[in-house]
Amino acid sequence: MDLSFLTVQVLSALRQAAFLFLISSGLTLIFGVLNILNFAHGALYMLGAYFMYWITLYIVGTGGFLLALVLAPLGVALIAAVIETGLLRRIYMQEEIYQLLLTYALVLIIDDLAKIVFGPEFKSIPKPDVLSGSVTLFGGTVPVYTLLVVILAPAVALLLWYLLHRTKTGKVVRATSSDREMADALGINMSALFTLVFAFGAILAGLGGALAGPARTVFPGVGTEVIIESFVVVVIGGLGNLWGALIGSILIGSLETVGIIVFPEFEMSLIYLLMVAVLVVRPWGLFGRPLKVKALSEKNLAMEAQEISPVHFSVHPAVRWAPLLLLLLVPLVTGRFYQYLLSQIFIASLMAVAFNLLLGTTGLLSFGQAAFFGVGAYTVGLLATKAGFGTLPALFLSPVTAAAAAAVIGFFCVRLSGVHFAMLTLAFGQLIFTVAYKWYGFTGGDNGIQGIPVKPISIGGLAGIDIGSNQAMYYFVLLVVGLSVGLIRRIRSSPFGATLKAIRENGQRASYLGVNVKLYQWTVFVIAGAFTGLAGGLYALMEKAISPEIIHWTKSAEPVFMTIIGGIYTFVGPAVGAVVYIVLNSYLVAWTEKWALVLGLVLLTLVLLLPGGVVGFVNEKARQILGKSGCIRRWSFSKSAK
Amino acid sequence: MAFLDLNSVNTYYGRSHILFDVSLSIEKGEVVSLLGRNGAGKSTTFRSIIGLNPPQSGEVVFKGERISGMRAFRICRKGIGFVPEDRRCFPDLTVLENLEVAIRREKEVASPWTVERIYALFPRLQEREKNLGSQLSGGEQQMLTIARTLMTNPEVLLLDEPSEGLAPLVVALLAEMILKIRKEGVTVLLAEQNLHFCAKVSDRGYVIDKGSVKYEGPMSDLLINEEVKEKYLAV
Ligand SMILES: Nc1ncnc2c1ncn2[C@@H]1O[C@H](COP(=O)(O)OP(=O)(O)OP(=O)(O)O)[C@@H](O)[C@H]1O
Ligand SMILES: [Mg+2]
Repeated sequence: MDLSFLTVQVLSALRQAAFLFLISSGLTLIFGVLNILNFAHGALYMLGAYFMYWITLYIVGTGGFLLALVLAPLGVALIAAVIETGLLRRIYMQEEIYQLLLTYALVLIIDDLAKIVFGPEFKSIPKPDVLSGSVTLFGGTVPVYTLLVVILAPAVALLLWYLLHRTKTGKVVRATSSDREMADALGINMSALFTLVFAFGAILAGLGGALAGPARTVFPGVGTEVIIESFVVVVIGGLGNLWGALIGSILIGSLETVGIIVFPEFEMSLIYLLMVAVLVVRPWGLFGRPLKVKALSEKNLAMEAQEISPVHFSVHPAVRWAPLLLLLLVPLVTGRFYQYLLSQIFIASLMAVAFNLLLGTTGLLSFGQAAFFGVGAYTVGLLATKAGFGTLPALFLSPVTAAAAAAVIGFFCVRLSGVHFAMLTLAFGQLIFTVAYKWYGFTGGDNGIQGIPVKPISIGGLAGIDIGSNQAMYYFVLLVVGLSVGLIRRIRSSPFGATLKAIRENGQRASYLGVNVKLYQWTVFVIAGAFTGLAGGLYALMEKAISPEIIHWTKSAEPVFMTIIGGIYTFVGPAVGAVVYIVLNSYLVAWTEKWALVLGLVLLTLVLLLPGGVVGFVNEKARQILGKSGCIRRWSFSKSAK
Repeated sequence: MAFLDLNSVNTYYGRSHILFDVSLSIEKGEVVSLLGRNGAGKSTTFRSIIGLNPPQSGEVVFKGERISGMRAFRICRKGIGFVPEDRRCFPDLTVLENLEVAIRREKEVASPWTVERIYALFPRLQEREKNLGSQLSGGEQQMLTIARTLMTNPEVLLLDEPSEGLAPLVVALLAEMILKIRKEGVTVLLAEQNLHFCAKVSDRGYVIDKGSVKYEGPMSDLLINEEVKEKYLAV
C-alpha cells in the first residue's frame, strides 16, 4: 500500500465522514433538545440539495456557488420552522411514536412534492471551475471539492462547539437538553427554543445536502438512504450527543471506505454490524446516557385518558361472526382482483396484529418486523424451490425460523427501550436485508426467488387439495390468518397478556412486583416474530415470487402505519388499518402517481386529529351515542380491554 | 388580597385527584411553611403554582393577576422562583453556567442578583465555579439550585424540602441563608417535613395532608399543638 493510495482513501473516508457529520449533528441536536428522532431530516437534506440546484441554476449562477451554499440551508431552515410551528408543536406532549410518525409522514409528502416541483429524474449540480479540478497530494490525485468538504465540516464542528459552549443561547440549549422541565420553570421559553433548534438542525441538514449535491446526485427519495445512515451514526455515538455524532461519522465514514475496498459485497452489512456490536456492548451508544423514563405528568393526559377509557364493548356473537361468513362468501361472487386484494389484506392484517402485540400491548416499538416477514417468506421460497418441500411443511417452518431469528435479535433488543429499541430492531432488520440483497448464491440477491411452486396439500394421505388457484388460495390464507389472529387474541387476553399490559403501563412497577420484565418482552418478541414469519410464508405462497424489498426497513414501517391508522389500543385496530392501507395503496397507485403524497397527508391528518385511530374514534363515538340514548346498560363495557 | 393567593386549587395527575380545594394566602415579605408528610401534596402544590401541573380548577393569583393557566416560563418571568426537591441542577453545565442560563428579570427589580452577590451568599459555589453540576456534593447541589433560582430575581421563592438529606451542620447553614434571602426582600414559601427547621425560619405555617389544608396558624402555636403534630406530622 503506497502513500498516494492511502492519501486518496483517507480523504475519501473523511469526505464521507464530513457529509455524515453535517447531517447527523443536526439530527442529534434536535433529538437532544426536542426528544424527537426526526425522520424528515433526510428529506431536509434532500431539500438542501435541490435548493442548491435551483439557486445555482436560476438565481446566482455557478459563479455564486458559495453564496448558494449559504442561501440553500437558510431556505431549508425556513421550511423547517414552518413544520415545527405548524405541525410538530401540536404533538410534543404525545408519545414518541406519534412524533416519529409525523416526521415520517413528512418524508412521504416532501419526497413527492420534490418530485412534482423538480421532476423525478436525477439532477447533478455543476461546480464552478475553481472547485472542479483536482490537486496532487502525496502523489495521490484529490479533487479540490473533496478538500473543501473536508475543511468545511470540521469548521462547522468548531462553530457548533463555540455556539454551544460560549453563547448564552448555546448554554440554554444544553441546559434544556438535560432537563426540559427545569428549564421551563427557570423562565426559558421552550416553544421559541424548540423552533430555533429545529431550524438550526435543518440548516445543518440543508448544508449537508447543498454540499453533497454537487458531489453526489440529487433525486426524490435520496433522503431515505441518508437518514438511515445518520440514524446509525447518532445511535452509535449516543443519541443527543454531539461528540458522539462526530466520532460516529468518522467511524462509519472509514468503515464504508474500507468496506468498499475489502468487502465490496457487504459494505452496508458492515455498518449495521458495527451498530449492533456497539449497542450490544454499550446499549446507549459510545457517548450516550440512558434516557430518563418520562414522568407520568409529562405525558399527554388526554392520551392516557383515552387509553384507560373503556373502548371495548362486546358485540352480539351474530354480529361478530357475520363478517367472517361474508368473507367466506365473497370469492363466490367476486373476481380475481378482489380475491387477491383481500388475500393481501389478510396477510397484512396478520403482520399488523402481531406487531401490535409488541406496540399496543407491551409498549415496544419495533422497526424491524420486515426482517421476520422476510425470514418467513425466504424460508418458504428456499425450501419449496431448492429443497422440494411440500406447501404445508414449508409454511409450517416459516414461523419456526422467524421465531429463531426473533429469539436471537430479541435477546439483544429487549435490553433497550424506547427509541433505542426501535433503532436496534431497525439495524438488525437492515442487516438481514443487506445479506438477502447481496448473497446471490443463497438468496438470489436482488433478483429474489421466482417461481415458487405451490404443491397440492395432502392431509393424512387424502387426495391432494390444490390451492394454486386464486380462489383456493384466498380460502387458504383466510383460514391460516383467521386461526392465527384468534390465537393472538387468546394470548392478549390471557394472564400472560395482562402482564404485558402491566409492563407497558409501568415497567418499573411490574419489576417490583417480581415480574421478569425482560423475559416477558423477549417472549412476546419471539411470538410476534413467529406470526410475522407466518405472514411472510403466506405471502411467498400467494405471490409465488419474492424479492429482498420485503425486508427493507420501509416495509417495517407498514405495520406501524396500519396500527396507527386503525388504533393502537384496540385489538381490531391494526386489521382495520391494514384494510385502509392496502385499499388506499392499491387504488391510489392505479389512480395517481402521487400515492405517497396522499398517504403522507392521510397519516398526518390521523396523527394530528385522530390519535386514537379509526377504531378508537368509532368506539368513542359509539360510546357517546349509546350512552346518550340510554342503551349503554345493555352493552357490557369492560374496563381497559386493550 | 394577599401577595400570592391560591383559591380552591384542585390538581390531578392523569386521573388521580391530588389536591382538594387548597387555599393559601401569603403576604409580601413573609416566610411561610407548608408542612406535611411524604405524599401529602406539598410538591404538587408548588408545581401547581409554577405551572408545571396546572390546576384543573381554582386559581392562583399573584399580585392581583391570575397566573394559573399561564405556562411555567411566563410564571417564572412574573417573579415566582421554584426550587425543586430533587436538586435538579443541570449536570452537564458548570456551576457558573448553571447560574448564567437562569438570568432573568434584571430590569424588573431594584437590585438584581448578580453572580458576585450569589458568591457572597454561597462562597462554596465560587470555589467550585468551574466544576460540572454532576460533580457537586448533595449540599452543594442544593445551594446551586437555590442560587440558580435566585438568578431569576424572584419575588416569591418556592423552596421544596431544601433540608432533606443534608447534614445537621449544612441544615443550620441553610436556615441562615433563608433568613438572608428574606432580608433581601424575597417572600419565601417553604415545603418541609422538618418542623424544627421551619420554626427557625418562618412565621406562619400551613399543614397539609392527603391533598387538603388541615391547619393554618403562627409557627409558635403549631409547635405546641400536639394534636395536629401527632395527626399530620411525623414527629
Ligand atoms: N407524577 C405523578 N403521577 C401520579 N401521582 C403522583 C405523581 N407525583 C406525585 N403523585 C402522587 O401525588 C401525591 C402527592 O405527592 P407530592 O409529591 O405532592 O407529595 P409531597 O408532599 O411533596 O411528598 P414528599 O414529602 O414525599 O415530597 C402522592 O400521593 C403521590 O403518590
Ligand atoms: Mg415533595
